[in-house]
Parts: sequence; C-alpha cells; structure tokens
Amino acid sequence: MKRFFSKNLRTRLTLFYSALLAGALILYAVCVCAFYLHSLREQVDTSLDRVVEAVEGDLNTASDGRVELTSHEGEADEDEGERGYLLEVLAADGTVLYRSPQLNGQTLGPVSEESAGQGLGEPVSMRLGSGELVRMIMRHHRLPDGRPVIVRLAVSEEPYWREFWEMASILGIGFPIVVIIVFITGYVLAARALSPVDVMAKRAAQITAEHLNERIDLRNSDDELGQLGTAFNATLARLESSFEQLRRFTADASHELRTPLTAIRSVGEVALSKGGHENYYRDTIGSMLEETNRLTKLVDSLLTMSRADAGRVSLQFAPVSLLELAKQSASLLEVLAEEKNQSIRVEGDDAIEVNADRTILRQAFVNLIDNAVKFSPENGIIHIRVLENGPEAVVEVQDNGPGIPVENRGRIFERFYRVDRARARHEGGTGLGLSIVEWAVTVHRGTVEVDCETGPGSIFRVRLPWHTSPALGSAYSASGQPKETN
Amino acid sequence: MKILVVEDEPKVAGALKEGLEEEGYDITVARTGEEGFFHASSHGFDLIILDIMLPGRDGIEILHTLRRQGAKLPVLLLTAKDAIEDRVFGLDAGADDYLIKPFAFPELGARIRALLRRNKAESESALKIGDLEVDPVRRTVVRDGLRLDLTVREFDLLEYLARNHNRVVSREMLARDVWKETARATPLDNVIDVHVARLRKKLDDPFERKLLHTVRGVGFTLNEEGS
Repeated sequence: MKRFFSKNLRTRLTLFYSALLAGALILYAVCVCAFYLHSLREQVDTSLDRVVEAVEGDLNTASDGRVELTSHEGEADEDEGERGYLLEVLAADGTVLYRSPQLNGQTLGPVSEESAGQGLGEPVSMRLGSGELVRMIMRHHRLPDGRPVIVRLAVSEEPYWREFWEMASILGIGFPIVVIIVFITGYVLAARALSPVDVMAKRAAQITAEHLNERIDLRNSDDELGQLGTAFNATLARLESSFEQLRRFTADASHELRTPLTAIRSVGEVALSKGGHENYYRDTIGSMLEETNRLTKLVDSLLTMSRADAGRVSLQFAPVSLLELAKQSASLLEVLAEEKNQSIRVEGDDAIEVNADRTILRQAFVNLIDNAVKFSPENGIIHIRVLENGPEAVVEVQDNGPGIPVENRGRIFERFYRVDRARARHEGGTGLGLSIVEWAVTVHRGTVEVDCETGPGSIFRVRLPWHTSPALGSAYSASGQPKETN
Repeated sequence: MKILVVEDEPKVAGALKEGLEEEGYDITVARTGEEGFFHASSHGFDLIILDIMLPGRDGIEILHTLRRQGAKLPVLLLTAKDAIEDRVFGLDAGADDYLIKPFAFPELGARIRALLRRNKAESESALKIGDLEVDPVRRTVVRDGLRLDLTVREFDLLEYLARNHNRVVSREMLARDVWKETARATPLDNVIDVHVARLRKKLDDPFERKLLHTVRGVGFTLNEEGS
C-alpha cells in the first residue's frame, strides 16, 4: 500500500482528493439522515399529539362500566386501529379499561403509574412484547363521568424507519458511484494538469552539457508550472554561460600554456641541432628558463584563481586603513613609475577603514596600480583616491592612458582577456591581473568597475562596503585580532 | 653534509643530486617511500628532502613515523600542493620547511643552508666580497674605500646578495626575503629588476670590476669572477 501511495504525484493527488470527497460525502449523508430521522419523528409526534386529543374526546364510559371509543357520530371508532394507532386506557389503579384489539393483549408499558409516569406528556420510543418498535404518548385524562384514567396512544415506528432506510440506501448506493466517478475524472484531470511536468522532465533529461542551449517550451508562463519552467530555463541559461566561460577559459589557458612551451621546445631543438659554444648554450638554457618562469607564474595565478573558485581561500579579516594600504601598494611599485617618469599621487582620508583581508586586498591594489603604470605614457600622473561614499568606501585608480575602447570594457575582467594581445605579451603580464582584482574585491563583497568617461584615461573604481564580513562584530570588537572566516 | 633525497620522479631526483653535489653535499637518492624510510631511519643523514606524493608510503606518513621514533634531523618537504591547509598539514607533521613545485634551484639551496645552520647565530660581522664591504649592523656599504649611498631597499637587496655571494639568487627568493611578499602571484619581477638595475648603477658603474651579475632565466649573483 505504501508503495502504491508513493508511486507518483498523480495517483497521490487523485487519491487524496477522492478521500477528501468521500469524507465530505459521508459527513453530509450522516447529517442528512440524522435530520431526516428527526423530522420523521417530529411528524409522528405531532400526529400522535393530535390523535390523542381526538381520542380523548371520543372516550366514553360504556353501560357496563368499561370504556369504549365512540366517534362523534356515535359509532365505535375502529378508525384509529386501521390507521395503525394503538390505544390503551388504564384506570388509576392500573386496571385496563380499554385496549386496542391490534395490541393482542400486549401492554403499552408498565402498569404501575409511578414507573409509567416518566412518559407523561412526551412521546417516547419503546418496544412492544412482540418486538415491534412503537412511538407512544401517555396522558392523564378524566372521563366524562369524572373518573381519572391514563390514556396511552402508540403508533408503529416501522413505516418511518422503512422510509429512512430507503433513503439511506439510496445515499449508500450513490456514494461509491460518485466517488468512483470523481476518482476517474480526477485521475484524468491530474494527468492533464501534470503533463507539462512530464514533458519538462523528459526534456531536462535530454539536455546534456553539449545541448545546454536548448530550452523547455512554455505553454503558459504565468501558472505555477510555467514559473517552474521559467526558473528551469534560467538555471539552464546560467549553466550554459558558466560552461561557456569554462570552455573559453580552458581554451585560453591551454593557449597561454602552449606559447611558452612552444618557445622552450623550439629554442631547445634549434640549439641541439645547431650546436655551438658554451656561451650559446648558456644563452639557450637561460632563454628556456625564462619561459619556464613564465609558465610557473601562469600556473601560480591559475592556482590562485582555481582555489578562489573553489572557495578554499580562508580570509583573515582585520580593520585595514585603505589610504595606508594604497600608499603601501603604490610605494612598492613606485620604482616602475619612476622609470617612466610618472608620478603616483595618493590622496584621501586615512580614517577610512574597512574590515578586510589585507593580503588579498593589497594584491588587488597592486595589480590595479601595476596596470595604471603600464598603460600610462611617460611623464604621466597616476591618481589614487580613497573616498567615502555613503554605505561604501571607494578607491579609485586613475591612469592617463588611452582608455579602454567601449567594446572591450565588458570583458577586461575576464581571464586572459587582453585589449592588445601583442603589447600584453611584450609587457609580460599573465592576463589574469584584473580577474584577480575582481575576485579579491568580490570576496570582500565589493564591486569593481572601469570608467573611461569621467576623466582622462581610465578610472578603476573599487567599492567596498563598510562591513565586509558578517563576522565583523565578533572578530573585530571582541579581541581586535583578525579572525578566520570564509 | 649528508642529505637524503626522497623523490620518485627520476629527472627531478637526478637534477637534485647533481645540483646539490655541485654545492658540496653528499647525496643519497631514494625512489620510493619504503626505500626512503629505510635510509632515513638507518643512516646518519644531516637533512632529508622529502617529496609528499610518493608511491607506496607518502611523505607525510614517513615524516610522522620518523618523528615518532624521535628523529630530530631537519626535513624539507617538496610539494606540488600549495594550498594553505596542505602547508599547515606538512608543518604540523613535523616538517621544518616546505618548498612548492616547481621551485627554483637557488631557492632550494638557500633553504637547505638555512636549515643546516639553524640555531647557529647569524654572523653580524661585516660581509666582504673582494673590495666590497657590507656592514649589516651599521648599514653601511663601502667599496674600494668609497662609501656608497644606498636607499633602504637597495641596502637590503645588497645585503641579501652579499650573504648569498657566489650563489645565484632567484627573483622569487628576493620577493619573499627582501620584499617580504608572500603571495606568489603578485607581479614583482619588474620591480625587482628596476631595483637591481639601480643598485648596479651605484655599485658597479663607477668601477672597472663588476660584482653584480644577471644569470639569465635564473636570477642574480654577487661574485668577483663574473658569470
């Protein structure tokens, strides 16, 4: 049974609704029956009341002292009996003064008045000696000659019970039919309602890494299933784009790795086949080692990125003065600027502090400044500004280089993306500098953007929220010590 | 000085043996974990260079067992894994130092020397290379009787080169030991080259005999002979 229940959503839904309907129907039928029974009984009781009063008026003392029932027309009234009414008249001492012949000598209740008194005035249900179920009313009455008597009038309940059972059986037969019909239609309806899910599941199963561009067709995007489909399609789109990124990254990385490898190989092969003096060999080996260094740097950067991707970098958060960090990063690279007669100007408020991982943030600053030095012409000025802007601290690095063409701006933070490939190769960068900047800023819940409109050259703008770590309170105020967070 | 090299990659092992013998060490190479452990626990080595990824028993396991047996000799781990956890793991296991592959040979030499002279106080007396005299205490440099005026960074650079004179110093070593830069991905090569060029201008340009030499593809060296 359990297996059957858990089989599928369609069966479960249908079963659930059918059970709910059956329950409601049963409740309804019970209420109807109870009400019907009650109203039948009320009818009987009203007629009993009416008849007993009529009968009382018809009671007369016969000449032999017994009680007889006469109609107003003066005839013995057998009518009550024909209509199924049973009459018993008792004297105060319990002597039977009249008893309907239909009773066949059975009594309508106990003889003693005390015990019979409880049924006084109100109709009660009782069983006759013959087993027949009757409704009985009992009243005190004075005969026309002044004798007090007890009048008992009863009527069989069998007819109305019959009526009741008839109705109950109609309800009872109709009930399973209705439930079965509802179950079947419900099952069919559920199948129709759930068919898009089926379609989606089949479709989703077909979509593999090679077919991520496929989407689920949506008939109605407003209903719940449509929303599910939309969400599913959005997930697919994201998956597709990250797959695409990964593919491009792998291709780019292999290309980047292949370039130094080719150099090593061809330099080695040429030297070996050509032969020469010691100095020539030294030079060859040196050149090969240079390429090896390039490879090593590339692999190091790739590792940094992949560890970052895997979220395996543990950050050491501590309050960092942005101005001080910017000055430190600038002074590290100052010699490079001096070589090109450039000057680096760092300005801002040194009270601006954020909670950050110093090493990682510094890497971002160093990369940005390194970039600025590379792309600014001789005698240029590089401006670094530390500002406060509402909910965030802003660090701007402005070069006075040529700026970045609009069409390339969106991609400069991509791995291995270079605006000018030939030049980048000459400068010896890995093509990962800005990607590392973006990552470093992102782990601090900040953003980095490039702005080539505002001033001469490009402005790289890093925005960092004041509270870069959710663990700020505990890590910062409690001990003042950096605390490891993820 | 006897050094045990436990390394399964034949080329790397061969290069280590050759290069370290060149520096005057007595080298034994073990190719598997078991062999390495056997040598390490039986012979009197002064230092072990231990690769982590080994067939049979891995380096960390060997290190654990050695330390449990009370071996106190310095151990230098070689690892291709440079995640912080792996480093911490290695140091916790009882390694004295670690080096990430691929490493620069001069750096390996420097680490070995550092491990072997550990606990021996660094000489604070003036360093003399030919007519050059570097005084680390007073931070003065005199060459051929002439006092050279160096910036702080230039002095640190020269002092480091002088301490490692006659040996090649790689850019990685300079970045780590002179610039104290821990992240390997930070672009410092150009910075180092500029500083070296400036130092050379002050140190060598006025003199006939050049002391500071560039070894292409490897790094820099301070010596009297020329490279």
